[in-house]
Amino acid sequence: MRNLWRVAVFDILVPLAILAGLAYIGVVLGWPLWWAAVGAVLAVLVIQSSVVNFLLYRRDGVTLGTDDDRPGLRAIVVALATAAVVAAAVVGYRSWTVKDQTLNGDMGTVVGIASSVAEASATFTPGAPNASIDRAVSLMAPERADAYRKEFDGVAKDLTKRGVSGQASTISAGVEGISPTMASVAVLLRGTQNAPGQPPKSAILALRVTLAKEQGRWLVTDVMPINSR
Amino acid sequence: MPEERSEDDAANIEAPTAAPPAPDRAVSGYGIASAVLGVVAVIAVIAATVFALNHRADVQDREHKTRVLQAAADWASVLINMNAGNVTSSVQKLHDGTVGKLNEDFEATVTPFTQLVQKLQSQTTGQIDSVSIESLHHPAPGQEDKPDVAPEVAAVASSTDEVLVVATSVSQNAGVKPTVVRWNLRLAVSDVQGKLLISKLETLR
Repeated sequence: MRNLWRVAVFDILVPLAILAGLAYIGVVLGWPLWWAAVGAVLAVLVIQSSVVNFLLYRRDGVTLGTDDDRPGLRAIVVALATAAVVAAAVVGYRSWTVKDQTLNGDMGTVVGIASSVAEASATFTPGAPNASIDRAVSLMAPERADAYRKEFDGVAKDLTKRGVSGQASTISAGVEGISPTMASVAVLLRGTQNAPGQPPKSAILALRVTLAKEQGRWLVTDVMPINSR
Repeated sequence: MPEERSEDDAANIEAPTAAPPAPDRAVSGYGIASAVLGVVAVIAVIAATVFALNHRADVQDREHKTRVLQAAADWASVLINMNAGNVTSSVQKLHDGTVGKLNEDFEATVTPFTQLVQKLQSQTTGQIDSVSIESLHHPAPGQEDKPDVAPEVAAVASSTDEVLVVATSVSQNAGVKPTVVRWNLRLAVSDVQGKLLISKLETLR
């Protein structure tokens, strides 16, 4: 009975655990060529060792698991199996769990930033012409921020001169597409424009906000209308 | 020779009594190390399994959302491309793709629109500009308490996602300047027994 569980654990389960660990890492990494080669070599070594172990059992009637004279070798083999499954867990955590959590977190982050920038882009107060520009620019990539400030300066002067103000509030926003470094968000806003002596004008604005992740921070790279015509 | 054998046998018999038997069942340092490593390995296997299952659930969720986006785009595409020539088949197709109250009230909802299309004999071509799963929504004043999913839909659907569709269509009427229509739609896509159906249509104006 004692020998039975030792055979089951050390002679069967341990090599299977190593092979499973190697396969798990391959699946997580998507079987890149280097791992296919390294994993195949390691797997052959494990299978080869198991075959030798079986042949020794046939010859001597003792296996790695049941050999009382080789506790050290048994510990080394268990250490190898542990290393394989721990490595698999670490690779799985880093490549799956962390990336999934980051992506899910990024989806909320980019929508919030896109909504803020879209609202700021469609908001203007003659008394504080730079307030909304500064708010939008603080969330933009440097090269886009400069261009945006130049584009908006002319419009701001005209609106200030005419006393026109505009407010916008997000109705809905959703992620069109996202990768670890780029994202595109659709933002639907209700914009209201007030001009002296005229009734307020209200309209739905559909904007596409594109973002890029630079040094761990999402920044807006462009804001444009969605409608194609 | 027989004498030598008997001496050997005697030695063999006496040997165990000369030294106390080794405690072969006692756990050695290697055994303890193996046991500790074994526990670490079991924990790692459990962790790796949890990571794999969570990742699988995430991947399935993303695949489901992709199918939801496709279903919303397909349905909205029929809506924005409705012409006098295809109005009957389009309405039937749209009706078949709905569920819940929208399905029950569909005829009443689209009748004014279809009558207008037939009357004007317009030729409309539309295109979907954007489709996205809504993740931020500020309800209109007075609608904060309204449930996102209608109870009759929630009873039959395993999940419901809100989808934003932005589209543009151009209607060409004989002798009249083409009319550009901008569509800002908010659709609820419900999974009813594996079939993705539209359970709510909201036009943002």
